Amino acid sequence: MSHRFAFYPGCVSKGFCPELYDSFVRVAAEFDIEVEELKDVGCSGAGLIPAEISDPINARTLAKAEAMGLPLLTICSTCQGVIGGSALRLTDPAYRARINREHLADQGLEYQGTTDVKHFLWALVEDVGLDVVQSKIKRPLDGLGFSPFYGCYLRRPIDVIQRPERKLYLEQVTEALGGTNVDISGKGKCCGFPSLTANEENAFAMTAKHLGEAVSKGADAMVVPCPLCHLEMDGEQSEVEKATGRRFDLPILHLPQVVGLAIGLDPRELGLSRHMASTKKFVAQLQPVGSLVGAAS
Amino acid sequence: MEITFKFQRGGTRAQPEYVDYQIDVPPEMTVFDALVAVRETQDGTLAFRGSCSVGFCGDCTLSVNGAQKVTCLVTVGKTQKDGVITVQPIRYAPVEKDVMHDMRKFLWDKVDVFARGVVPNGGHPVTDEELRPVRKAMRCTTCGLCDEGCTVIDVNLDFYGPAALTKLYRFAFDPRDGITAERLREGSEVHGIWDCVHCWEATEHCPFGLEPTHLIMDTRDRAIAHGIKSGYGNKMLERHYDAFEESISRKGWLDERSVALQTYGGFIKGGIKTLPLGLRALRKGKATLKPHYKRPGAEHIRKIFDRYNRSNAGLRKEKQR
Repeated sequence: MSHRFAFYPGCVSKGFCPELYDSFVRVAAEFDIEVEELKDVGCSGAGLIPAEISDPINARTLAKAEAMGLPLLTICSTCQGVIGGSALRLTDPAYRARINREHLADQGLEYQGTTDVKHFLWALVEDVGLDVVQSKIKRPLDGLGFSPFYGCYLRRPIDVIQRPERKLYLEQVTEALGGTNVDISGKGKCCGFPSLTANEENAFAMTAKHLGEAVSKGADAMVVPCPLCHLEMDGEQSEVEKATGRRFDLPILHLPQVVGLAIGLDPRELGLSRHMASTKKFVAQLQPVGSLVGAAS
Repeated sequence: MEITFKFQRGGTRAQPEYVDYQIDVPPEMTVFDALVAVRETQDGTLAFRGSCSVGFCGDCTLSVNGAQKVTCLVTVGKTQKDGVITVQPIRYAPVEKDVMHDMRKFLWDKVDVFARGVVPNGGHPVTDEELRPVRKAMRCTTCGLCDEGCTVIDVNLDFYGPAALTKLYRFAFDPRDGITAERLREGSEVHGIWDCVHCWEATEHCPFGLEPTHLIMDTRDRAIAHGIKSGYGNKMLERHYDAFEESISRKGWLDERSVALQTYGGFIKGGIKTLPLGLRALRKGKATLKPHYKRPGAEHIRKIFDRYNRSNAGLRKEKQR
């Protein structure tokens, strides 16, 4: 059964995290996730741009998906949280009518308030199903420890994420793929990225805390559903090491990369060589494709 | 029901020293009332804070069985696990004795910074609708649970924190107030609204549903409307916002390369700062040199920004004065 979505890749997967976009497209095809990419929509505002601007921008995106009759799929927790927040505010009929009148009517658009906004993680568990995910495993991730790191927007606020069980999907996926869950206390906290320009010291302290806990608990990699968390944990890892004098050497993997590895895709094809924190040691630990040793079933 | 209170009376959070007290209380009694009963009947030297016992003063916040609670709002029956309630100080407040916190240092001094009363703006009739958000913020009891959950306080105790910034909101959104821009500038000082990472923990932790993270975000939005993007000369922060806005309003989406360059001080200064990391990223294929074209429909995004800037032009002029 195919699962159709209007696809909102977000700016970062087209910018500094191209490996996220590429690995998602590759993995989605394996799970019959059919996406129609929205190319004429704007940046969600990322929690920086005032809601007075980002709500109309997001209403436009939601209206376009609605006109296609499809739910909106994101691969970035920040896009998910910010567009999800706009969608929640736009359930208020009076507010929606004002945004439609002031910003969308002249483009012949009208948002009716019906678009469901879903992150790839949620779609994988709720639409595809973990049983189907497991049935495609060609390289179980047995023996590898994964620290889940959700960041903020996939766990809060509860009225935006809608279902409390979604707070545990990430570890459910890695465990279904055969990996071991290496839980860390800050998995739903901020990665530090939003504070990079305001207070770098705070940002690095947060990042160091999460990386340090994952490493000390024996994680082989960290899994993130958000490219901004990736920019911080992976891109800034060497800077955080310099600032704190601690060595982490922890590979940070995008969610589609982890799924892709388990279903037998090539690490290079999934862009693991494009990370700033080396993934070489991790890749060397992977079992050969076709190995069924202790395969999760 | 028979309850054993394991009450921390010394040691540290990691290595606490407990004294046990047994008491028979009804399950619907609040944890705070049960602790008062223990103090009155068994040991008058037990030290913990609390006053109103009806969820109004916000003083009796404690860690009970590992969760931070306003203890007069939770019952013994629902809190106990196998007949035991472990009582510890909250995580970040300094302790004066037993589980009695120094709330002045942890919270009240920070709240006081933003507690200057309304400075009347000349007077005009205020509608109930205008006052509604302010009333919501006024319900804050400064119980400190939002600060307890705060991601930033977790790494830096100097951050004002959501409780103090809720007080800022209370006055910055008061329609009767005449010094809004001044308050927003004060709130934009170091450790203020711009250090919030909008992780929504505060909203999740508030026992009164006041959504402090939302209030901080609304305050930031109002500061931006006034043209205030940093209150302490953090030019990088200002440049970051301006570059972000410019990129989206011109191209419809974010051009990370130009935002990074502008944030760090323009093509030459930013280029030098970001060069080592940028070169490594290019070599790895993490970054590309592909140009960032304008998105189709970018003119519609531009119009949204233009409309916003037009409607807030008056506020920005006020800032310049």
